[in-house]
Amino acid sequence: MAEEKKGRAVATQTAARIPKFVRGNLSATLKAKEEGKKVAKAYIADGQDEIMRAMDIVPAWGESFSGVCAAKRDAEKYLQKAESDNFSRSLCTYATCHIGFEMIREEQGGAMPEGAPWGGMGRPDMILGNGQLLCDPRFKWPQALQHYLRDVPVFITNMYYPPWDPNTDHHEQEKFYVKYCMEELRETVKFCEKITGKKMDWDRLAAVVELSDKTWDLFIDTYDLRKAMPTPMDTGDAMNTMVPLTFNLGTQEAYDFYVELNKELKQKIADGVGVANPEKYRLIWAAGLPSWFALNDFQYFNGKGAVFPVEVTYRGCERIERLDLPKTNDPLEHIAWRWVRYWTHWYDAARKRPGSIPKVERIIEYIEDYKCDGAVFHSAFSCRSWHAGIIHQADVLRKIYKDIPILIMEGDIVDISSYNEADTHNRIDAFVETLEAYKSKRKN
Amino acid sequence: MGDIKYYAGVDIGSTMTKVVIVSDRIETALIGPTGPEHRKLANKVMEDALSQAHLKFEELSYVVATGYGRINVPFADRQITEITCHAKGLYSLLPTVKTIIDIGGQDSKGIRIKDGKVINFVMNDKCAAGTGRFLEVIADSLGVALDKLGEVSLQASRATPISSTCTVFAEHEVVNQLANGEPVANLIAGVHESIATRVYSLVRKLQIEKDIAITGGGAKNTGLVKALEAKFGSPVLVPPEPLITGALGAALLGKEKCERAILDGYNPTRSKEGLQEAKLFS
Repeated sequence: MAEEKKGRAVATQTAARIPKFVRGNLSATLKAKEEGKKVAKAYIADGQDEIMRAMDIVPAWGESFSGVCAAKRDAEKYLQKAESDNFSRSLCTYATCHIGFEMIREEQGGAMPEGAPWGGMGRPDMILGNGQLLCDPRFKWPQALQHYLRDVPVFITNMYYPPWDPNTDHHEQEKFYVKYCMEELRETVKFCEKITGKKMDWDRLAAVVELSDKTWDLFIDTYDLRKAMPTPMDTGDAMNTMVPLTFNLGTQEAYDFYVELNKELKQKIADGVGVANPEKYRLIWAAGLPSWFALNDFQYFNGKGAVFPVEVTYRGCERIERLDLPKTNDPLEHIAWRWVRYWTHWYDAARKRPGSIPKVERIIEYIEDYKCDGAVFHSAFSCRSWHAGIIHQADVLRKIYKDIPILIMEGDIVDISSYNEADTHNRIDAFVETLEAYKSKRKN
Repeated sequence: MGDIKYYAGVDIGSTMTKVVIVSDRIETALIGPTGPEHRKLANKVMEDALSQAHLKFEELSYVVATGYGRINVPFADRQITEITCHAKGLYSLLPTVKTIIDIGGQDSKGIRIKDGKVINFVMNDKCAAGTGRFLEVIADSLGVALDKLGEVSLQASRATPISSTCTVFAEHEVVNQLANGEPVANLIAGVHESIATRVYSLVRKLQIEKDIAITGGGAKNTGLVKALEAKFGSPVLVPPEPLITGALGAALLGKEKCERAILDGYNPTRSKEGLQEAKLFS
């Protein structure tokens, strides 16, 4: 009576459009030259998206490209190339994969490396580095790239990731963070104007920012639908459906995507269609980027009746009203306030609960709202900036909230050499047994 | 045999296969090698265990398979991970234990338990350092039988520091130290200390609570247990037969499932597969 493996019942049709979306982003970088547009090697979630969109600069997302290489299990050649120039495997593999790719292209006199996933990514005309004053690879990566792309100008700015101190009232500090961020954004605009030879159209930027705000709200409305039981969509899909928000913010395509996803999820709820049938355990993906080469592991969870109605990763927005942003006619000031408050709006809650931290408050809120039975963290060894504190978060969660089953998975974002499917599934099996033990304890 | 019911647990580890048959007590426990050829022959170990207990396969009420090879046991009624089984098995033997260290052939684990149930676990399955494999490699290099490592290490005047954490480089380091005249006992004590350090850094992620116990092949090495006690700053309990706790837990979980099913008014179904070897490549 060997246990049957049950596959994932349903994935969303809307998520199935994402590969086309990502391909579109990559091919836009290749077409840009014909269209007379500039390509910027860019980094996500640091306030620059809307500036680029408003100035017709085409972003070439290095993280996305490395993620595609990983998902296609085709990153090794680029990682090895970077390693040959002494870029250690323990450095960010988003960075080393992309650096390896650019190294090969430059060695070939600018010709696209053969077999580059989905046609490859266009050569940048500029590099806009940023790392939220947190992610050091994102300001070392542009500098390293400049060793190979010698003619490409680099400009590095950082939004300010607001520091957390339980004894400090951040409300008094916020305006200084905002001032700093605005300065960085203004300098980014100046740099882009210099490279493109065009002046910023401030009305256009304001319209782009307004569309971004609408997209943030729609994204939250849509993802909140996943609170339904059974949940109509889990993190396996969300690691795809984050693409328009993360890489296409400020575009109509991104907004329209979530309109469609919203419609589909409502229909699934009306039809009672869930991700797993039956849905036995609800989990939160509490932290960590996924292993892009092993997204099928979500289906493995689903096959055991475990679903993820919510994740912290790539939920890079919040309902605008909740952030209580000061009114301003300056779109850069709005971007800065939105950025700072996106983080600090958890700080008051964290200060109220002794021993808590904002990241854990966020996890607790999602556990409560989405009625989760357990938490899964993924610790990617090559990402120090975002993953170093994961075990601490898990410990704090258990200490200040409640005794809840927690699984910490270990792997990487791009480097498949760290991954063993059988061992990973063994851990998931053991975790599901732990969830069941907690469940039966609650019943008794 | 009357109304006595029998339950079997089969633990297919990376190097050893273990079978335990229980009723209201442990009827029999048997350990055989896994190895490449034996991997498909869990049925043979089961046959030997049945023979030792004077039982027929048909007399077993339920069979639970565990360990890395659990999926390839055609005659098992259910598969449960070794994490859950170790917790159950060890709790039945040493009920005061809250933290388990398991040092197996190819991995090491830490398990936190409460009332016999797993509340958290960590695994090292990415690196041979901190596992039984590390000890095998070093034993080979030093020409000391694996089961004598513990005894020899207790004669050490000091533990020679081994700085390489990689098994391959550590072996090289040990061979170099040996060539420099370092006594074998000191080198083995150094290796034990190195493993204890690795295991401690793994298990401390669990917020260790006493009592602490050790299972798996590593538990049979007295030198390693001593090094772990020094590192954890606490006695480390060793069950009477540390290799069988997984299989014992599997058998007990099968028993528990059947007894609960009967209380709920139904008989758990047995696998239709007879006692046959695993078909690994079909």
